[in-house]
Amino acid sequence: MTQVSMTVNGGGVAADVEPRTLLADFLRSELHLTGTHLGCEQGVCGACTVVLDGRIQRSCITFAADCNGADVTTIEGFDDDPTMQELREAFSECHALQCGFCTPGMLTTARDIVLRLGDIDERALREELSGNLCRCTGYVGIVAAVKKVAAGRKPNVAAAVAPVTVSRFEGSRSRPASLLATNGPVTRSSAAAKAAPIGGSAGGTSIEERVRVAAPPEQVWSILSDLKRVVPCVPGAEITSLDGEDLVGKVRISLGPIKVAFNGQAKVGMDSSKREGWLTGRGRDSGQGSSAAGSARWSVIADGPSASLIAVTLTWKLSGPLAQFNRAGLVQDVVRRLATAFAENLEASITGAAPPRRKTTLGGLGLIWSVIKARLFSRQ
Amino acid sequence: MKSSAFELKHARTLGEATELLAGADGNAKVLAGGQSLVPMLNLRLARPKLLVDIKRASGFRELAADDKVFSIGAGWTHAEIEDGVLEDPTRGLLRSVAHGIAYRAVRNRGTMGGSLAHADPAADWVSTLAALGAVIVAQGGEEQPKRYAAESFVDGAFSTKLGESEVIAAIEVPRLSADASWAYQKICRKTGEFANAIGVAVLDQKAGIKRVLAGATSGSPALLPETAARLAEAGPGAACEIAAEEIRRVLPNLDIDTQELHAVAVRRALATLGGRQGR
Repeated sequence: MTQVSMTVNGGGVAADVEPRTLLADFLRSELHLTGTHLGCEQGVCGACTVVLDGRIQRSCITFAADCNGADVTTIEGFDDDPTMQELREAFSECHALQCGFCTPGMLTTARDIVLRLGDIDERALREELSGNLCRCTGYVGIVAAVKKVAAGRKPNVAAAVAPVTVSRFEGSRSRPASLLATNGPVTRSSAAAKAAPIGGSAGGTSIEERVRVAAPPEQVWSILSDLKRVVPCVPGAEITSLDGEDLVGKVRISLGPIKVAFNGQAKVGMDSSKREGWLTGRGRDSGQGSSAAGSARWSVIADGPSASLIAVTLTWKLSGPLAQFNRAGLVQDVVRRLATAFAENLEASITGAAPPRRKTTLGGLGLIWSVIKARLFSRQ
Repeated sequence: MKSSAFELKHARTLGEATELLAGADGNAKVLAGGQSLVPMLNLRLARPKLLVDIKRASGFRELAADDKVFSIGAGWTHAEIEDGVLEDPTRGLLRSVAHGIAYRAVRNRGTMGGSLAHADPAADWVSTLAALGAVIVAQGGEEQPKRYAAESFVDGAFSTKLGESEVIAAIEVPRLSADASWAYQKICRKTGEFANAIGVAVLDQKAGIKRVLAGATSGSPALLPETAARLAEAGPGAACEIAAEEIRRVLPNLDIDTQELHAVAVRRALATLGGRQGR
């Protein structure tokens, strides 16, 4: 528990809060100021907007423990505010509320707009209001109400800002070396392959990575056919048990602040005549509740008499919070880097000569970069 | 919805933050404005054991300048930059970009350094600072701060060059001369949401800056050196002609329609630049 004291609607409040308590939950559950509404709880809908130290902020993505000494005004604190009085009347006249869920946030944001920006045109007004969603879609009335109150007002940007001090710059003049690789590090062919679904993981997203190894295919395959050696090449992957074609294991992925550990089962198989191997499985992250189903397929193709191409295709399908969070391309980028690292690790495992390159998780890409830099350099 | 339990510590200095991070065995996250991190905590996508708050740490909001560089402390908020509370060394680019980040309530709390460290590929500062050729200064365990070129700072989605116990202290932005022109275009369906594509062009012949960039890719932003060279030699119209081809070459992993979306963003930026130069 953390002790906080803050001013809420003009009165002092002191309380012990858990660090994870959101300001919005603190206001609603502890102080019973239920005018602050919670819609999305991820900073998108604006229903929880309050004034914090003179600036509108989202109380659903602000921790109460992080507001020690702050001055908070919720919708309940604007009873005697002249601007809010005007807005209330205008909202009423213009039918700017239907169910009322978005209204506290709308009013708080609208007050900030008219005080800060004054009389702005409708396009700018709609843009400024775009961070507050009305689930009744009653925007016409809301915009009309705010416009009415804003009419004739002067802007007042940067009011009450302490003057800033700028010291003399004494840092380094030289620019640090830039690795001007604009699209990832490796000069290998890579395609967003719309691969045929493997082993029943239909409907997934799929990518392919290829890496060239300076060894003949027979030699490469002899190593790749050893599963105990192949699976750990998937960054963060561990085999718990391997019995025939049944594999039980774990994949940990660390991606910035996101850390997931999928525990799961897989079936593995191999066709030595085609120099092809595959793995199909599904797993679940117990902490987060995300689950993933996917497959990996790898094959060795001759590339001239003494070199080979290892082609790795990863196919996956996510569900749960991780899938919910996914924006187009992000997970694809992660899996692409996973595939790259897998191919890198396979190569390292085969050539054996390189320093330990194996990446344990996808967290620190720095290691991979150093390997790649060395490799590019040695080619020149 | 609530985050999983964590401990919250307030660092008084960036050095103290570094020590706290170093002692947390990879289970700590820095909390600045938290406008990207807290949604992830609420969704429980991220479950750190420790949050190190650096909002009030000394050294987090320093400003330093000379005739070539303006160094912005990482803790300045988007709204402060938008409002011109501090000088804009880029003659309006930073202010304009800041205005377009998310929504005012988010800009009032979110910081430039936090956005960079979070490294969402679609974040505005990632692309803007890369296009400007800014330098990101990070405080780690050593006495000397580390310096990273902004264009190669982001490795991919949510991944940067930043070490686990390093904290971004400042961003050194090169000053643009009176001859400079810039343009920033982003394509998104709704105001304030993360962009699907970003196009940036900065041309300052006097300061030797000519850069064109395709941002909001699924990974790191992509500089377009050939388009930039063409822009400097033959103008925005000529640069427009080769932009799409260069994008296809430097971003081969993207689908064709996504490549085209990036080409549109870059061409729009170049066209805006042309319009500004004409004045």
